[in-house]
Amino acid sequence: MATPGPAVTRPSEHTPISAAGRRRYPFLVKRPSRTWWLRTRAYRRFAAREATSLFAAAFSLILLTFLFALSRGPQAYDGFLRWLQRPGTVILLAVILVAILYHVATWFRLTSQILVIRIGRLVVPRKIVVGGLVAVWLLLSGLVLYLYALFL
Amino acid sequence: MAEETMTLRVTRYRPERGPDSYLDEFDVPYREDMVVLDALNHIKDDIDGSLTYRWSCRMGVCGSCGMMVNGMPRLTCSTYLREFHPEPVVIEPLESFPVIRDLVVDMTDFLEKLREVKPWVIREREDAVEEGEYLQTPEEVDRYKQFSMCINCMLCYSACPVYAQDPEFLGPAAIALASRYNLDSRDQGRSERDEVLGVDTGIWDCTFVGECSVVCPKDVDPAAAIQRTKVSTTTRGMLAAVWPHRGRR
Ligand code: SF4
Ligand code: FES
Repeated sequence: MATPGPAVTRPSEHTPISAAGRRRYPFLVKRPSRTWWLRTRAYRRFAAREATSLFAAAFSLILLTFLFALSRGPQAYDGFLRWLQRPGTVILLAVILVAILYHVATWFRLTSQILVIRIGRLVVPRKIVVGGLVAVWLLLSGLVLYLYALFL
Repeated sequence: MAEETMTLRVTRYRPERGPDSYLDEFDVPYREDMVVLDALNHIKDDIDGSLTYRWSCRMGVCGSCGMMVNGMPRLTCSTYLREFHPEPVVIEPLESFPVIRDLVVDMTDFLEKLREVKPWVIREREDAVEEGEYLQTPEEVDRYKQFSMCINCMLCYSACPVYAQDPEFLGPAAIALASRYNLDSRDQGRSERDEVLGVDTGIWDCTFVGECSVVCPKDVDPAAAIQRTKVSTTTRGMLAAVWPHRGRR
């Protein structure tokens, strides 16, 4: 490293963060730990939020499998239905449901942090925004159930 | 009655003594109304004058006394010892910054990033002085006021795991500062700031951990500034694609 002046630099296992070439004094850099995501509550929440997104991915795979089975004809479709009714599958789906609900809840909370709705000089409180999101979600779920009941 | 004391474990780094940091333990007299900074000042005045740290205002305004207190980035002038008493407190330099000495970190990277976002009102064409001030309604001030409260304490950078892994990341306070000007009705410099904001090392590096907003002593909510910038940049990009004239603004 080309450092001007009477430089003292750290041993090479420490990577200088930036502007290192210009720094004319000794300094110390701590490496970030690999387990940073366990350290604070907010970090753990973040990790949980990201981890539960994998369950959402898993569910879309199951949906894709369903479509694939449907396209392959009645036999494949029946096989898929039988797989769905196995106790293992039911447990898996229950776990996925819980994880996705958690994931959705975290995003409702985050959305309320991002979304600012102003009425004049007043900002709509975050709790009300979350409430609105939950209401829309319940409404849509109700609609889906209604359609399901209608076509059954 | 014997005087109550409290133990401070303070990280020391004195390059002339060796390449690594070490812990020093100090016992300081404890009073309920003492803040961490008072304890450090006591150490410096009465125990070890070589202890090095930054501070100035002692009232949460100057933003220079930020350190890790028991692993969390805090303003030491606004953090009471009673929060931890009688357990010992661990004081370390702000994380993710190069340490120059004891508790003093190098702010160069942060200051350069602040400058990169061009934190001033940019006009396509300056009005002549005779034309008067650029007026603003209280509603227009509301739009950016929160993001103008930053005291540059760098706590948000220390709390940010993305900045810890990737020092190129523009970071919370700089993006909040960019938003402060982008949302200012007098400003027309959005597209200039986009050059550092709308790139991988700008807003898109952020994974919305949200800890920056948790530790911010001024409720600036830099995490919200970043996510809102993501939304507005994307909408403007899409608008520009379907409606070239509108989207340019
Ligand atoms: S945004 Fe908050 S935490 Fe970050 S530098 Fe400004 S005042 Fe400090
Ligand atoms: S000494 Fe000024 S903010 Fe703490």
